[in-house]
Amino acid sequence: MAVKRIAAETLIELAVETLRSELQPVLPSEHRYTAAMIANALEIARREILMEGETARWELLDEVYPQGDGDMKQLALDIRSGKVDGTKVPDLRKKLRAILIEELAIRNPRFLKTRQNQQ
Amino acid sequence: MQVVTRSRTLDPENLDTLAQWVARVLEARRVSFSEATLLGGGAIQENWRLVADVEGGPREGRHTWVLRTDAVARISLSLDRAGEFGVLKAAHAAGVAVAEPIARCADPEVIGAPFLIQAYVPGIAQARRIVRDPALKDFGESLAERLGSELARIHSITPPREDLSFLPIPMLPPARNEVAKLRNALKGATEPRPALEYVLAWLDAHAPKPEPITLVHGDFRTGNYIVNEGRLGAILDWEFAHWGDRHEDVGWIMARCWRFGNDALETGGIASREAFYRGYRSAAAMPIDETLIPYWEIMAAAKWATVAVLQGDRYRKGGENSIELALTGLMPPEMELDALDGIEALIATGDPRWQ
Repeated sequence: MAVKRIAAETLIELAVETLRSELQPVLPSEHRYTAAMIANALEIARREILMEGETARWELLDEVYPQGDGDMKQLALDIRSGKVDGTKVPDLRKKLRAILIEELAIRNPRFLKTRQNQQ
Repeated sequence: MQVVTRSRTLDPENLDTLAQWVARVLEARRVSFSEATLLGGGAIQENWRLVADVEGGPREGRHTWVLRTDAVARISLSLDRAGEFGVLKAAHAAGVAVAEPIARCADPEVIGAPFLIQAYVPGIAQARRIVRDPALKDFGESLAERLGSELARIHSITPPREDLSFLPIPMLPPARNEVAKLRNALKGATEPRPALEYVLAWLDAHAPKPEPITLVHGDFRTGNYIVNEGRLGAILDWEFAHWGDRHEDVGWIMARCWRFGNDALETGGIASREAFYRGYRSAAAMPIDETLIPYWEIMAAAKWATVAVLQGDRYRKGGENSIELALTGLMPPEMELDALDGIEALIATGDPRWQ
């Protein structure tokens, strides 16, 4: 039998499983929403620990700020001022969408799956 | 006395000051409360159900009311209680299905925050319970039709109105004005959202031709009305009311983010679009241009994304240690994705207005 490593993500996974299987079924109805929020928060934390990088985010930042002098805050400001738009950055909308896909893979993969199934 | 606590502002064990204040406002000899129950919902404010016995005055007798108070922090897009009370009174007078507004208190000393009191309307408002009701197939279409006609009645309220003079008249075309409000609200936001800024820039550049402005509810959606046995009880949550383009409200209830998983039922997850439009047409002085609704659905996604950013900031920097606020603060990419896809779909129509 393989030996399990008790890593942070494993602990979170176990905590969610225990919450769902042992606590949620016996909780009074007024506490179920809170329990669901706790499970959701733990799962987001687990996915964040396992995250492999934010490729789309860095690719866009590298393209817009080749000198490395821009971050997401600067990008938001530059889009607002019109300094960065679809004419200056080809496929800007698609590139921003790719960033959202990366974020949703951590924050709400179920939402992402629903939207992808609808397309 | 029955007390269900989760109090933040109102102390249900100490209602004497409130009782005295209500008695004075209602010209009663005495007011006492036999029940104070914190109701669910309302991330921005508290809602309490009160059972009151009024002795003397024009409202003598037993009443069930709802007291609504501001929570610890408000977000910049919402009206204060006094403003909300004024809008409610105007809507009530116009025959809109609202819970009768009874009293408002601007003095934070009475219970710890300004508040308003309305008649209690029985039924459920929780969106998820409404959209998952097994009887929805029987009442959804007629409910949506009724909601359409109620919204048309709200939109019959137009400026100038002395009683609503606290609502600013937009200086820009309504759509551009909404964008300006959202941009302003995002100015101090903690988490930069380039996709949201892109959506706002697109909405600004493609704003529809301005039309005569009307009262806009500002949060007209499933979750903000009461349903009692399949029938509409009352329209709730008027804190985002403003003068604007009436299509905004229609786009809001149609937006995918307010269908609560019932994506095929485009009116708020309860019914077809057509049922709502039918009801609106039956009561409207001015018809809506249905081709504009997808634009306003993108605006709806942008607005909800902005509100989610602000709610997240109540946790991040506002000192409110709430898991619900923190999780809401992680939601903007959901609405941003819908908005970007909505833009893509409008461009794909080939309609010159959206190119």
